[in-house]
Parts: sequence; structure tokens; C-alpha cells
Amino acid sequence: MATETSVFRLEGVTKCYGDVVALDSVTLTADVNEYISLLGPSGSGKTTILRVLAGFEAPDAGRVYFQGRDITRVPAHERGIGFVFQNFALFPHLTVLKNVAFGLKHGTDTLSAAQIDARCRAMIEMVGLNGLEDRAVDQISGGQSQRVALARTLVMQPRLVLLDEPLGALDANLRGRMRNELRTIREQMGVTFLHVTGSETEALAMGDRVVVLDTGRIIQTGTPDQIYGSPATPEVAHFLNRFNLFEGKLAGGVFTGPFGTVPVHAACKAARDVYAVRYDRVQVKQVSVPHSGPGIRAHFVASEYLGSSVINFFETPERRVLEVEHHLSLGAPDTYEPRQDYLLTWNPEQAIVFGQETA
Amino acid sequence: MMAEPTAPERGSSTTMWLLAPGVIWMVLFLVLPILMIVYVSFWTQTTFNISPTPTLASWKQFFASDTYTGSLWTTVRIWLIILGLTFVVGYPTALYVGLFVKSKTLSTVLLVICVIPFWTSFLIRVLAWRPMLGKEGAINIILQKLHIISQPIEVLLFTELSVIIGMTQIYVVFMVGPVAFMLGRIDRNIIEAARDLGAGFGRIFWKIIFPLSLPGVVVGSIFVSVMVLGEFATSGALSGRKVNLLGNIIVTQVGSLKWAMASVVGVILTVFMGVVIAGFLRIVDLKREL
Repeated sequence: MATETSVFRLEGVTKCYGDVVALDSVTLTADVNEYISLLGPSGSGKTTILRVLAGFEAPDAGRVYFQGRDITRVPAHERGIGFVFQNFALFPHLTVLKNVAFGLKHGTDTLSAAQIDARCRAMIEMVGLNGLEDRAVDQISGGQSQRVALARTLVMQPRLVLLDEPLGALDANLRGRMRNELRTIREQMGVTFLHVTGSETEALAMGDRVVVLDTGRIIQTGTPDQIYGSPATPEVAHFLNRFNLFEGKLAGGVFTGPFGTVPVHAACKAARDVYAVRYDRVQVKQVSVPHSGPGIRAHFVASEYLGSSVINFFETPERRVLEVEHHLSLGAPDTYEPRQDYLLTWNPEQAIVFGQETA
Repeated sequence: MMAEPTAPERGSSTTMWLLAPGVIWMVLFLVLPILMIVYVSFWTQTTFNISPTPTLASWKQFFASDTYTGSLWTTVRIWLIILGLTFVVGYPTALYVGLFVKSKTLSTVLLVICVIPFWTSFLIRVLAWRPMLGKEGAINIILQKLHIISQPIEVLLFTELSVIIGMTQIYVVFMVGPVAFMLGRIDRNIIEAARDLGAGFGRIFWKIIFPLSLPGVVVGSIFVSVMVLGEFATSGALSGRKVNLLGNIIVTQVGSLKWAMASVVGVILTVFMGVVIAGFLRIVDLKREL
């Protein structure tokens, strides 16, 4: 069987809440020692996948396998799968140490009190909470709560940890730091993480593999650069929040959109015709400069400084906002006059085209 | 020249005006009467007269008489039994209403159902037990019709048992309410987290659910204790004068104008309730929990 290297496998898992289809025949396999990000908008079913895996919800159809064993009907407390909740769900009446020790003390393992204490203290050390062992959990900060939640799960030495938007409750600064720590801790422990997030930057930064979910279906799976470089559908391109998308018509190897008519070398099969240009592929030219190829007139609105790059916002006469990203490593950014018209253009070979007909 | 009042001064005068009605009311109708009761308990009582000459006679009489000390122990025993029964009957009910019922609407409906008996007067609720428990009452008739018993069970009415049945029914809702409220506030994710860490239902109940509901148990116990310790109507109506609680003693003493003895019993009851409430409040820090 092919289950030797896989930690879990979902086969055709379907879950409905009343009339709402949360998961529509989802099939997904995760390898040992892998970091998977599950990206999708809210309501796409990403949390439901975690809840089905953890055993909090039973699927309406399909099977769930964990380390080669069918666990579809195994109750949650006998699965041995770790779950880190978005709101951390710490036990409010217990100290940090007792929170971490809860699973070892009250779970299925039989360890001596000394073994439990040693393992918990080692785990608390690993997540950097030394000195806070006897604090009540309402006396620690958000970042520390996050670490307690992580330590409480990891001390059980699970083969699979499910993280439900674990960084969502933290402020931006802390989120950045915890991203690195999550990766480091995972690599040290050699466990598989399945990390649900609604943030495309988080998904791309953290996953060895990114799974994109929309309306209960997996619409793309791949490495971050595969997802980023060649999104499979217009929806994926939209979630990534890195593309200017244009509706138009693809016919006979030519795409007709608001920017003119452009020859298309290759197109991905999709339900509708969409032309996608990455923010950092767009060039801004003066209107007076002659050009060939695609071009769209838009006036400059504002710019946003992001540290390593600058995003410039332009608005077309149809009131569509287009974004142009300038990486500062490529030199100082040009400055633009507000309300002044510019010509936005790009190399058509760098565009990604989706269409009902594939060229 | 008048100075403008500064902010804290204005604040403190507002505080004073807001507090005044409550404070005046409580002083006039709670603090002064209690002090009066303490004072009267040391008055000299003769058969037809009472005079404010200080004496310990009523106190000595209370502790020397088996009737009075016996009723003190009956009160303590009945109180502990009712407390235990309201917990045993009320906690599972609260667990169901507060935790297992997922829909908020349904749990509100269930709580309202618990309160329905309160739509009628206290005395009627007590007296309604007589046609229920009596020798020819509903329970005996049904059991006889079903041929489960051939002779009516006579211990059901006018015994300590009938007092216990009646009080448990009347006061159990005061245990259910606070416990269900605390259970309803438990974050469901916490219970799922405990399950995910490998704990079965028993462990989750004893280590997570019960400790988190403890403030509700304490509040419910205080409600039940205060009401049961001051009881006289249920025991009067359902025991056939066999169960004499301290409350019943007060009623008879006041009825025969024995104000000094009634005051002694009142002071003893008040002190005992104070100790009980203080004891319960030591179990949890309610200020932190609620």
C-alpha cells in the first residue's frame, strides 16, 4: 500500500451542514515531515477539513486514514492527532505547566509523574516559556498563550498537528516571529503540520506545499512557487492577491480585454476568460511615450511603502484599481503625480491567461 | 465666592446620592431590625409580659431544652439533605441544559420550563404536594392501579420524607440556574482541546467541566441554603408537625408572643447562615469568576 510515507489521507470526504456543502469530495494526502498550508477564503471549508481530521466532525461520505489506518469512526480522543485552536482554547483554571501536562496526565498514555514533569518542562523550555510554569493562563500575553497551546499539543508527540489559523489572534509583529518559530519547532520535531490560513502571504511563506481550497473543493496543490508562478485558476490568482485580473475574451490565440488585443502563447483551461498580470510585472510609462503591445490608461491614486517594495495604486476611467509593485532592490522608485494619467504596460509573455479554449 | 466643585468632589457627591436610597432602606429595614432582634433576645420574658431588663434566661432555656436543640439539629440535617439532593438532581439537569443542548433557544426554553412552577404562589406549590403524596393521593392511586403495591404507602405524606420531597422540588431550580449559566459560558473549544489531548468524557468532566462550573455550584448552594435554613412553610404544611425546623419554632414563639425566645432562635439562625455563606465563599473567589 502507498500509505508507508503518508501521514494522513482523505478520500472523497464530503461534509454538509444542512444545505451548505462545506466539503465536496476532498481527496488529500500528506507526507511524513511536511509543512502544508491550507489556503482559502472564509467559508471555503478549510476549518472543516481540520475538524474532520481531528474527529470533531464525522464526514457524510468518504474515508479518513491516519498512518495507514482507517480512522473515520475513531473518536477524537483516541486519534493522537494534535490540534491548535485559533483562540488557543487554554484551560482557564489551570497554570501554564498544568495546561501543558494535561494530555500526558489525563490521556491514554501511562507515564509516571516524574516522566510527565520532565517532558513538560523540556517542552516549555523548547517553546521559550521558562519561568512562566506556575502562571495562570490569564496572566500571560497573546504570544505566550500561543506557545502554551503549541507546547500542550506538541508534548503529546503527535505525528500530525493541525493548526487552525494559529497566528490570526496575534499582532503583526508577533505573527512574523511566530512564523519562524513554528517552522523551526516543526523541523526539530519532524512532524507534519497542516496549517489553515486565510492569509496568502502566510500560506506561501510557511508551506512546503500549499493547498488552495474554494467552496469545499481543492482547486490547486503545489509548492509555493508553483502556486505563485502559475495559479491554476482565476480564483487561485485572485486569492493570492498578487495579480491584476482582467475579464475579456480569448479566441483564436488572441485575448481581447480593456488593454487591447494581445496574442496569447499558452492558456490554462478555466471556466471563464481571465487575463492575469502580476503586480511586479507591470511597467508604468508616460502617456506620450509610444508603445506596442498591451496598454491601459489609468491615473495615479496613491502609493504604499512596504519596506522592500512600493505598491502604486492606479485607477482606470472605469474606476478599476490596478496595483503596480516596484521592488526597491531594482532601484529607487519613480514618483508619480496624483490624478495624472499614465500608461500601464507589460510584456505579454509574462502574463497568465485563463480561457475556455486553450491555445 | 463659591468655588467650582472639582471633578472628584462632584463624583463623590453623585456616588452619595446614588447610594443613599439603598443605604437608608437597608439601615431602616435590615440593620436596625437585626440589632433589635439581638437586643430583644436578652430581654426578660414572663408569661404575659416582656420587659427590657437584660437577662440570659432565654439563651439558657434554648440550650437546656431538647426540643430547641433538637430542632437545631433537624434544621441542619434537613438542610444538608436538601443541599445534597438539589445538587444530585440539579447538576445533571444543568449539564444537559447548559452544555449538551447546542441551540441557545432550546436551552432558554428549557430553563423557562424549570421556572414554570414559580408562576404560582409558594404556598400553593407546597400544598399541591398533599393530593400528590397523600394516602389516597395521586402516587398511591397510580401505583395501586398498576398493581405495584396493594396497600397505600403511608410514609409519603406527613413525614420527614414528604418535607424532603417538597423542598427538593421547590428549591432545585435555584441550583439548576446558576450551574447552567456557568456551564453555558464554557468555550466549546476547550472541551474539544481536552478531547484532542486524549481525555475521555469522565476525565474531561472531572478535570475541566466540573471545576469551571464550581462558581455556579457555590452560588446555587448559597441560594438553596439561605432559603432552606429559613424555611417553615413546607415543613409546616407537609410534615404534620412532626418536623420542627428553627423557622417553625420562631413562628410558634411569635404566635404566643414569646418575643425573647423567638429572637434567640432568630439570632442563632442568622449567625448560622452567615457562617454557611462565608464557608461557601471560601471555596471559590466569586469576584474573579463572575
